Amino acid sequence: MLRGMHLTAIGDGNMLLEPTDGLDPSSPDEYIAELTEVLQSEGAHTLMYDLKQVPLIDQVYYTWLVYLNNLCRLTNVELIIVNIRTTVAFSLAMSLKQPPPFKCSLDVDRARQGITITLK
Amino acid sequence: MTKKKNDNKSTNKILIELFMTQVGSITNVIDEQGEKIFVKDNLLSSDEIKDYSLEFMELLVTVLHAGDVIDRRGVEYKALRRFFTEFSNQIQVRGGSLEEFIRYIQFLQKVFLEGLEHDANLTFNESREVLLLVAGIFNDISLDVFNVYLEEKERTIQAQQDEIKQTSTPITEIWDGVLTLPIIGTLDSSRTVSVMENLLSRIEQDRARVVVMDITGVVAIDSQVSHHLIQMMRAIGLMGAKAILTGIRPDIARALTSLNIDLDDVMTRSTLSEGLKEAFIYLGIETCRVDKKA
Repeated sequence: MLRGMHLTAIGDGNMLLEPTDGLDPSSPDEYIAELTEVLQSEGAHTLMYDLKQVPLIDQVYYTWLVYLNNLCRLTNVELIIVNIRTTVAFSLAMSLKQPPPFKCSLDVDRARQGITITLK
Repeated sequence: MTKKKNDNKSTNKILIELFMTQVGSITNVIDEQGEKIFVKDNLLSSDEIKDYSLEFMELLVTVLHAGDVIDRRGVEYKALRRFFTEFSNQIQVRGGSLEEFIRYIQFLQKVFLEGLEHDANLTFNESREVLLLVAGIFNDISLDVFNVYLEEKERTIQAQQDEIKQTSTPITEIWDGVLTLPIIGTLDSSRTVSVMENLLSRIEQDRARVVVMDITGVVAIDSQVSHHLIQMMRAIGLMGAKAILTGIRPDIARALTSLNIDLDDVMTRSTLSEGLKEAFIYLGIETCRVDKKA
């Protein structure tokens, strides 16, 4: 198990990442090597990042998500943000200067069906 | 010599005496005036006028009896003021105007001041003290009534504003998973916040996949309004739904172009029906005419 997150293979090349309280978004480098290893060993083509338990996305957290998206692109994995809370979507939309580079979906089921939105 | 009779009495006591000697005529005059002002417009019944007059007299006597000087923080004085705020509230609820009620209060004050004229025993100073006391009491009452009126007006305006906000941005599910949001008027920051809150909740609740935002009813657009529109489209996308912007009239398009607003990442269609067609295409829904004769 990776520190600060639960990473679960949910079939069809999809991986589900559920961040926990131990995640430190200000130090993305700490997770990159291990995460890449797991994604590659599982043969993942999609990483679903579950924001259900995330009450706020500040600049640091957003930078972490962009960083993770860049990593996914390098490893040919698609990052999809799922289960974003309405309050989080609201505040993030208010603060963003540019559209986010990652895809978004309402929840895991939708993402698995391929129903995603690209904002960029 | 008679004028020295009241020298040691407090102003309150003088007023009580004055009041007691003329209570019958004062009550009658107050009742009559109450009938004239409130009964003719069906704001109060004759019985209610009598009850209110009686309660007012009792409360006033209690205030005057409470001490030699009126304690404006005392419970008796507060009770008198509360009586008038409740009274004016009732008049307002029944459709009465502030003007009518203030006229009534001024009349009450006049009745007491006229009573002074009939008492030959009062010195100039005593009359002045009583006059100031009566004026002070009725000024406080008038201010309270005015505040009640203002509060009620503010509540009404707020309720109307809330209703306008709700009705001017109705979010409707016109198809399974398709929400429409016609925006009418202007989009300021506070309205954007309330629309976004409602819209994002509806996306989550209805599990909407497409939101068609129609701006046919938007009168004018500036950089702030366009910025709010883009924020709304982004928030919709973050929720995993597709946003389609429709109803961009030529003058709005010209304004957006001159403002150098980048709508590259926003899907736009000319009309609401075009937007709906696009939503159907996105959802993989095909519609066709049914030949009724067949």
